[in-house]
Amino acid sequence: MMDEMMNNKMNEMMNKKKLNKKTIASIKAYLFLAPFLLVFSTMVIYPIGLGVKLSLYGQRGARMWYIGLQNFATVFRDSKFWESFRIPLFLLTVQVPLMLFIAVLIAFLYEKTEKRGGKFYRFIYYLPNTIPGIVTGIVWSYIFSDSMSPFRTVIDLLGYSGTKILTRQHLPSILLVIILWAFTGYTAFVIYSSLIAIPKAFSEQAQLDGATFWQIAFRIKLPLLRGVLISLFIFNAIGAIQVFNEPWMLGQLVVLPSNYTPAMYIYNSAFAQGRFTYAAAMGLILALITFLISLYVLRSATKQMLTGESH
Amino acid sequence: MKRLILIALVLILVGVSAFAADYYPKYSGKQTTITMWAWTSNENYSIEEFEKVYPNIKVKWENFDVHYEKVQTALSAGSGLPDVLMVEYSFAPQFMDLGAFQPINKWLDEKTFIKLYGEAAMGWCAMDGEIYGTPQDSGAMTMFYRKDLFDQYGLIVPKTKKEFIEQARKFKKAAPHLKYMAAPIGNTMWWIGQVWEAGGKLFDYSNGKWYINFSNPVAVEVFETWGQLFDEGVFDLEMWWNPDWFNSLNEGTTAVVINGSWFAEWLRYNAPESEGKWRVAIPPQWNPAKPNNGMLGGSGFYVTSHSKNPEAAAIFVNWLNSHPASLKCLHNYSNLPIMVSARYEEVMDEVAGPDAFFGGQNITKTLWEAHQLVNTTFVTLPIMSNVDESLSLLIQEYVDGKIKRFADILPRWEKEVIGTMKEFGYSNVITGKLP
Repeated sequence: MMDEMMNNKMNEMMNKKKLNKKTIASIKAYLFLAPFLLVFSTMVIYPIGLGVKLSLYGQRGARMWYIGLQNFATVFRDSKFWESFRIPLFLLTVQVPLMLFIAVLIAFLYEKTEKRGGKFYRFIYYLPNTIPGIVTGIVWSYIFSDSMSPFRTVIDLLGYSGTKILTRQHLPSILLVIILWAFTGYTAFVIYSSLIAIPKAFSEQAQLDGATFWQIAFRIKLPLLRGVLISLFIFNAIGAIQVFNEPWMLGQLVVLPSNYTPAMYIYNSAFAQGRFTYAAAMGLILALITFLISLYVLRSATKQMLTGESH
Repeated sequence: MKRLILIALVLILVGVSAFAADYYPKYSGKQTTITMWAWTSNENYSIEEFEKVYPNIKVKWENFDVHYEKVQTALSAGSGLPDVLMVEYSFAPQFMDLGAFQPINKWLDEKTFIKLYGEAAMGWCAMDGEIYGTPQDSGAMTMFYRKDLFDQYGLIVPKTKKEFIEQARKFKKAAPHLKYMAAPIGNTMWWIGQVWEAGGKLFDYSNGKWYINFSNPVAVEVFETWGQLFDEGVFDLEMWWNPDWFNSLNEGTTAVVINGSWFAEWLRYNAPESEGKWRVAIPPQWNPAKPNNGMLGGSGFYVTSHSKNPEAAAIFVNWLNSHPASLKCLHNYSNLPIMVSARYEEVMDEVAGPDAFFGGQNITKTLWEAHQLVNTTFVTLPIMSNVDESLSLLIQEYVDGKIKRFADILPRWEKEVIGTMKEFGYSNVITGKLP
């Protein structure tokens, strides 16, 4: 906002005054941008550049030697890297859509309960998001432990006594539960904030025509939420592809391969096995994949929106 | 009389300092400060004592948790390591191989090292005759058992593997809801310790070559024996170090844990509700006529290649881990089995005594005996994190029923380890035999 106002003012000034004022103005603009540019270039651009450089080297301990694109060739042949996408794919196709669906329902409920404690519910649902992922992992590791789980008595009563709760086979579902618990409330909150931005006139009109709350919600409001849902889908898709904290924590409880997720494989390659340059190459490929998926979703979604609006 | 005592004291002092001078050279450099990363508690008491003797060397100790990830990062960055680094013996060859340490033979020669720490320790602190550091605590395998459960079910403390198995069978019959002992899923050093305890090896290093042979008769016998017991249901396989495992130790549903001797300290702080119920013993022997023991864990203090003052660092690590004044502090405040140094014997009677947590047993004595049985060198491969991951996954496959015979793990594990050595660029690997 501030930047925009500044820019507008400067534009006016530029129109009014002479050309040398223009350069002064742009210097001013860059001065205002400087803090951002400084942080962005040192914390984002520089590390990426360094990552690219690292990825072109072979390494053992402190010894490094130039090997060109060999690391990338190895990544493409490394089945461990490509197998690690199983969990992200599962999350992308199951967890993300499921969470968006539940979050939309909860957002409508936030709206419906506006005058009956809506604030309280929003607070409660938002809480899990305030807890760091690692802490969440520790708590869930107790909830799903075999001897101390609060579900143990229920599971025993159902005739499954002695069944292990935390096994590698169960892990995807456990991940699903943990991630849904942690992020659904937050996602619902974001959806809710664009819900209240929808002009009241729309729903009042429909109400006059005799539409119920849920009819208005799904027929009128949901299509208007498309934009925010697409952004949320992209954010969560990125989260799914780079999932790390939750499986990392659960890895203390069940035997997991070092390549359970791509981020875990990159981390383990760099820090447990000391192959930093190879990890850098994998990191770049992962970033590229993430970028392409986001681009694809964004493109096809905008196309749909444009054709949708032309009706 | 007084004068006689005085003379005697002076003589003793002279004798002690002359004796000490042999082991601990004078520091010739300028006033300096060296840094150290170590995860044990209360190293500062020893450091204070050291600074009194060597006023020109100050030691700055930083306490992180196990810091290998930081070390890997600093190594590949080419700077950032402290002067002295604490590393487990099993990971030391990996870091030696990566060039993380520098030799200190100039200040601690091989003869002195062996006199102070024994020949086996050369395998943990040296490579190709170059000494990089000194060993601190022992990871000698020790049997921890619940005396209350043993009494309740009329069990004896097993001395041999045969007795151990008999007792486990008996216990399983009498108390099927409890566990005699759970073997770990993964925890490579535990399994290597089993082979080591039986007098065998899986791999070794000699004259610039790595030797790998997982299917030697001793290793196969160890894995066959365990396999039969798992199939029979006498023992369980469990993942250690997770909430369920902690819970079973605290609640007393597990009667026996065989682990490195440092585990005594862990129990004291992490299973406080079981105070007075645990005892320690020498692990049951495969061949009682030729007693042997293996190790799980234990750490040394190494001088890094980034150190600008290796002389000060070398003097410090040697003094820290062998001087009686330091050993006393380490015993009393760090509470670890700091007993690799032969000089520990000089302070043992003074520091050891009945231990309330272990029902008044003098555990230091038993742990010392367990360590004395560790008489073979065991060099680990320079790719231990991969060796570990591979075994964990294979044991899990056995638990899931995908591998039928437990001993079939050995050849598959070996194949993966050889593959990783190759992948990491080691061409000096000899397979199928040990030196």
